[in-house]
Amino acid sequence: MTPATPGADDAAAADDAAAAQRSGTRTSDRRFPRWVYAVGAEPDARFSLANERTFLAWARTGLALLAGGVALEALDLPVEPHLRLAAAVVLIALGTLAPAVAWWGWSRTERAMRRGDPLPAPVGFGLLVAGVAVAGVLVLVGLLRA
Amino acid sequence: MTSSLAAERTALAWRRTALGLVAGSVAAGRLLSEAWGVPAWGVAAAGTALAVVLLRAARRRRTGVHAAPRTARAAAARSVGRDPGGRLVTTCAAALVLLGGAALVVVLTWGA
Repeated sequence: MTPATPGADDAAAADDAAAAQRSGTRTSDRRFPRWVYAVGAEPDARFSLANERTFLAWARTGLALLAGGVALEALDLPVEPHLRLAAAVVLIALGTLAPAVAWWGWSRTERAMRRGDPLPAPVGFGLLVAGVAVAGVLVLVGLLRA
Repeated sequence: MTSSLAAERTALAWRRTALGLVAGSVAAGRLLSEAWGVPAWGVAAAGTALAVVLLRAARRRRTGVHAAPRTARAAAARSVGRDPGGRLVTTCAAALVLLGGAALVVVLTWGA
């Protein structure tokens, strides 16, 4: 980004500021969820995009957990049936919860960035780790008992 | 420049997620079809249609970011500003929660 003349860059920046102001007032009325977009100022687009990618990474993690849970039952693995079902339910419950938790984290982070607050602590890591560990133990014990 | 790379990464992340959604819903349709027959394929169709909608919306955003080259602040105002914003994220999360509920029903039905 090299400005042609020093003055041109200033003018462009002023235009952009005005555009941001206009679209900010216009879109803050429309964008959802209100409790996120109604507060603060527009953060750097890169930060919003990174926040979105974090959400998407969680969403894919959720999909993988669902796939794992369903596969456990669908593939008829040689695991003691009750423990296998329990493990599958744990994985699928986590996979269902993950996108909801991710949405919650996304909106809190976006809101904090708009307000210039420190980012909120991540939620759901403990649950995810504990759940996957429990499912793993269930499968392991189920394999030994089969 | 950096902003458009970030937009590119985000568009790719949406694509991967949409791909997963298609795979997941087709698998769900296939598994549910054992119990429900042909109507179960509606799940696959719905998931695929949603993935297409998400991809189109994500692509609109990326072009929005590319079209606003001057300052990051302007890029934010134009790209994030004219897109559905949190709607995209919220729709995706809701669809995945529904898919998870469907998976839970399938697995518990087998177990019974």
